[in-house]
Amino acid sequence: MRTIHWRAPAAACAVVLLAGCSTFSPDGGLDAVSSMTGARIGQPVSFKRDDAALRAAADAVLKQPLSVQGAVQVALAHNSGLKAALAELGISEADLVQAGRLRNPGFSFSRSRAGDEREIERALSVDLIGLITMPIRQRIEQRRFERAQVTAARSAVRLAHDTQKAYFEALAANERARYMEQASQATEASAELARRMARAGNWSALDQAREQAFHAETLDGLDQARLGAVAARETLAQLLGVTAGEGGFVLPERLPALPDTLRPLQNVEQEALASRLDIQAAKADTAETARALGLTRATRLVNVLEAGYINTSTSGEPRKNGYEVSLELPLFDWGGANTHRAEARYMQSLHLAADTALRARSEVRLSHAAYLGAYARARRYRDEIVPLRRQVSNEVLLRYNGMLASVFELLVDAREQIASVQASIDAQRDFWIAETALQAAIHGSGSKE
Amino acid sequence: MFTRRHFFKSAGAAAVSAAAVSRVGAASLPEAVVQTDARTQPPPAPGNGRHFNPVVTLNGWSLPWRMNRGVKEFHLVAEPVVRELAPGMKANLWGYNGQSPGPTIEVVEGDRVRIFVTNRLPEHTSIHWHGQRLPNGMDGIMGLTQPGIPPGKTFVYEFEAKRPGTFMYHPHADEMVQMAMGMMGFWVTHPKDHRFMQVDRDFVFLLSGYDIEPGTATPKVNTMLDFNLWTFNSRVFPGIDSMNVRQGDKVRVRVGNLTMTNHPIHLHGHEFTVTGTDGGWTPPASRWPEVTTDIAVGQMRAVEFIADAPGDWAFHCHKSHHTMNAMGHAVPTMIGVDHAGVAEKINKLVPDYMVMGDKGGSMDGMEMPLPPNTLPMMTGDGPYGSVEMGGMFTVLKVRKEQKRGDYTDPGWYRHPAGTVAYEWTGELAEPTRSSSAGGKLMPLKQGADLNLNVRKPSGHTGHN
Ligand SMILES: [Cu+2]
Repeated sequence: MRTIHWRAPAAACAVVLLAGCSTFSPDGGLDAVSSMTGARIGQPVSFKRDDAALRAAADAVLKQPLSVQGAVQVALAHNSGLKAALAELGISEADLVQAGRLRNPGFSFSRSRAGDEREIERALSVDLIGLITMPIRQRIEQRRFERAQVTAARSAVRLAHDTQKAYFEALAANERARYMEQASQATEASAELARRMARAGNWSALDQAREQAFHAETLDGLDQARLGAVAARETLAQLLGVTAGEGGFVLPERLPALPDTLRPLQNVEQEALASRLDIQAAKADTAETARALGLTRATRLVNVLEAGYINTSTSGEPRKNGYEVSLELPLFDWGGANTHRAEARYMQSLHLAADTALRARSEVRLSHAAYLGAYARARRYRDEIVPLRRQVSNEVLLRYNGMLASVFELLVDAREQIASVQASIDAQRDFWIAETALQAAIHGSGSKE
Repeated sequence: MFTRRHFFKSAGAAAVSAAAVSRVGAASLPEAVVQTDARTQPPPAPGNGRHFNPVVTLNGWSLPWRMNRGVKEFHLVAEPVVRELAPGMKANLWGYNGQSPGPTIEVVEGDRVRIFVTNRLPEHTSIHWHGQRLPNGMDGIMGLTQPGIPPGKTFVYEFEAKRPGTFMYHPHADEMVQMAMGMMGFWVTHPKDHRFMQVDRDFVFLLSGYDIEPGTATPKVNTMLDFNLWTFNSRVFPGIDSMNVRQGDKVRVRVGNLTMTNHPIHLHGHEFTVTGTDGGWTPPASRWPEVTTDIAVGQMRAVEFIADAPGDWAFHCHKSHHTMNAMGHAVPTMIGVDHAGVAEKINKLVPDYMVMGDKGGSMDGMEMPLPPNTLPMMTGDGPYGSVEMGGMFTVLKVRKEQKRGDYTDPGWYRHPAGTVAYEWTGELAEPTRSSSAGGKLMPLKQGADLNLNVRKPSGHTGHN
């Protein structure tokens, strides 16, 4: 049997032309990620294949006490998790380029002999299906590539938020440890004084033991606080992608001051609708399904719909992403079911988009309420509780001056004042974390990301 | 109803500013004269009625009266007052006619007395005439002998001052609160014969105690015994005027105790005898000399002496906690406690902290800010520095040149040369110490080594 496959020269020419159209972009899709990310993080972000400049800038930032923007900048330059996400983009682009190219025409030659008979088979094969489905595949890959860009941008935005949160936690933990040190100085003074009073015969072993137990407990609290500071610093270091040890980074002494004005709810709700990546993704999804629906209606015989939806994930395994375009012979089915399904999918996508938007607005409102509450609390501590505590201390000192109160009351009060300053620091930290969560709700994919 | 104020001057250094207010509706009521000055008002001679030798109310005054058809009429107004306890501290008290204690009422044995009592307090009150012989219905016991005087109402008490002697008046309605708020006054019934037991100077005052938290002005009325301000006539040293007398004067001091504890009142430089009690004049044969007389709760004592020793003599309650002002009762003793190193540590936390009490309670030389309306614990400067006293303390000033009837302060005593304690600059011999503490009766098992400051508690063996 002899089989010879030949292709028309014109078709071959078209193949060559088509193949020539698909090439890699100069930025690898990173510019789009940069602009998506920059608008949401609030500082210019530039991702480049060669990030030496980026790293140099980040390293310069590390030489000074870290600001919250500086921390985000360092994390974007150094964080390996983000780099992995960006690398994914390259894989996507390769797929996209691949989709724009036909498989090379194949040529096969075989010679066989059965008894006296010899058969020489020459075949020239061209990827005909590939050629026919190329525009569809390209569009799908283009879409996947865009999704990968959004995913990369989401990773970057999430990293920024996580870094901010860790930054505030680390600062507060540092301050907490520092204040605990002061508290332990107060208890150390009373314990020492109690010891000397017992030695002078003025105080019982009972009173002395009480003071010393209190000191020991405070020391325990100090150890906990120090450990907490180390843990918070390590968490931040992981996100920054640098070492927490010597020469890693320097944190400022204090949390940033509270802002004078707050962001009104209306603005943030609108901003979220315009800016949230999940909403944008849902919208794009809807548009894409609409396009697929149109395509299905037009071709009927090309099952495009499966394409975007082969997106399965099994627990424990990496997510499978892909598509399948199949051509059917219109013998039994003229594509009516496909069209129905495509329509249903389109409606589903519309509802999903509406749901995403609804959830997003709710999340933003909730985050905004938490943000207002945290602000009120931090203000109350800053403007009322801490000043009142200070006043109490002054009054106790006046009583001490008049021999109306003892030095131990002074020291107990000093401890209480320290505790209220600590609570104030926590409230301030909570505000900044709530502010970060609000940002995440507005720009990211939700406050829980 | 109208309010009228007039001022009159009286003899003596202190100008009396007495404002007469309110005839309280009826023209038949005597004026309720109001005193706004907490200084001692020297006594004017009685202008009408029977003659008597007036008393001097320490940091107080005597209530004017009017004669109405042979009856001596007084008008007391029970009302909230602001009493200066000493310069630098004022208290929100309840009293009579602008002051706490109220004015001293002076009458003569056999006087018919009518007292109008107007209640301007927010609650009912009554007045009990402590020690008087009177009709039972005039005794002022709310619920028992009369209804309470409601706010805004005026009641009249009327009786004959039968027994001469030393008396008090105070509420017998919501008594604990009203007395804790300073409602009380002195009463003297002079003998018919003004030459009977006549003295040159006759000082009177009431003892009262208040619990006023540092930084506040109103007494805590629920305090039972733990008062922090002990007063003569609702004044504390250095706010208590001195008793200024002429050398050789026969001096009487009458004291009534309306606190909830006894007060051993002690005079320096002289002996006195108790010549009068709640029950009247003591028979001369029963008197014995003393320098301290204990005045129990609800009692009155009149002591007499010849002020023959010139000088500035302390006169005070001998309970030492009663001669200091508000102090922290729960402050531990710091004497002998080494503060080296600890003080610096505390200073880091409390920058204005200063070590106090490690050498004792003396605060001399230290001027530190205190809570507002709070007096230093021990204070009052004498010619040789701080007297380190407060509360129930004053000075009897005996002077040769003090004129009869002159109550002005003559200033500090000028000691004749060589009569003031002085520093010894010679050698000091080592004292001989006993080595057999406990003696034979109960010999110490552990020996006489009780040097507490050297032995330290160690491990489980306890401490000595
Ligand atoms: Cu006393």
